[in-house]
Amino acid sequence: MNHIEAKVIKIEQKDNITLVSFASQGQNLRMMSLGLNTPIKEGSQVTLGVKATSIALAKNLSGEISMSNQLPCKIEALNKGELLCSITLRFGDALIESITTLKSANTMNLELEDEVIALIKASELSILEVR
Amino acid sequence: MMMKIDISKKLYGISQDMSLDVKLEIKEGEFLAISGESGSGKTTLLRILAGLEDAQGEIIVSEKIYLDAHNSLATQARGIGFVFQDYALFANMSVEQNLLFVKKDKNLAAHLLSLTGLNTLAKRLPHSLSGGQKQRVALCRAFMSKPKLLLMDEPLSALDPKMRSQLQEDILKLHNEFATTTLMVSHDPSEIYKLASRMIVLEDGKIINDGTPKEILLKTQGSQKFSLRGELLEIKKADIIYIAVVAIGQQIVEVVLDAKEAKQFQVGQIVQVSTKAFAPSLS
Repeated sequence: MNHIEAKVIKIEQKDNITLVSFASQGQNLRMMSLGLNTPIKEGSQVTLGVKATSIALAKNLSGEISMSNQLPCKIEALNKGELLCSITLRFGDALIESITTLKSANTMNLELEDEVIALIKASELSILEVR
Repeated sequence: MMMKIDISKKLYGISQDMSLDVKLEIKEGEFLAISGESGSGKTTLLRILAGLEDAQGEIIVSEKIYLDAHNSLATQARGIGFVFQDYALFANMSVEQNLLFVKKDKNLAAHLLSLTGLNTLAKRLPHSLSGGQKQRVALCRAFMSKPKLLLMDEPLSALDPKMRSQLQEDILKLHNEFATTTLMVSHDPSEIYKLASRMIVLEDGKIINDGTPKEILLKTQGSQKFSLRGELLEIKKADIIYIAVVAIGQQIVEVVLDAKEAKQFQVGQIVQVSTKAFAPSLS
């Protein structure tokens, strides 16, 4: 599970659905959730979580895409298995990990120091802890 | 205010002595579930409310004093309905006679039996009934005195799941129709969630949690709504990732971990398996 430190900047609610916006490392993130039972408010510091297998990568991204979270990162390490590939990314002063198929990593020609965008759907992001 | 409890009693347990200290206000018409590990004092609390055991402190129900420093009202005078796990029906009396024994009100007996679908069994003797039917009779009998307060101690724990779910509906029907205040000891989270409007959790004789069943039972880690407790059986390496095998109740599930996560856990550990409400699907 990746941990991302962030600050709550906006909470929107409709029925039992909650949309929370965060700021982290100078970027905005958004999370889709059901009713929150964690006591957060605007300004709360939280630790966000996202599974490594839920992070997609893009290089030279253009066009429209519905991914709420698009984090500019730099590749710090690549660990290639036989079928899968783990990519360690630097996001500001945080490190996050993405797991993709080796095929995708090879097709994209991912290399150390590459600038990529980490893509996370709003529904894949969760609050692990309120600080 | 319907019910005010402020009692304490020294209990002598197998492993250690403890003091049961319960301070609680219960509103009229509330359905309160009492849960907690065995030996936490749940049953003793019910028995004290029923007047079957003494205790220090006071119990006041609708301004009537059940217990204070000077008096302890006799069980019969408290006007409480009881349902326990063993049906405690009179074996030599028919279903209808079991009800009429409490109060000679044929109309009420017929009404209760038809509410719970027992009308065709009115003349039968208890030994010819199934466990679920017997417990229904016990439930009807508890309502014959139109109790203001109903106490149930794991009333459904001896029944199979299907029967349990039918009886839960009967309990709710009767609780609503008679506007009873109900206190039920239960271990079963689904039962508590379905029936109770409020629950307390006892530990070593003290209330450690008090809230709605949803607040207490929905064990979440932050915004992860789907959360189950299980035992970690195995962590297998698969290419560059890891697969954790976890036993949850009678089922086995698998969870994908990254290398860092895999190092955090040990086989045999009790873990919480959680994800957001968006990921699981039903089939």
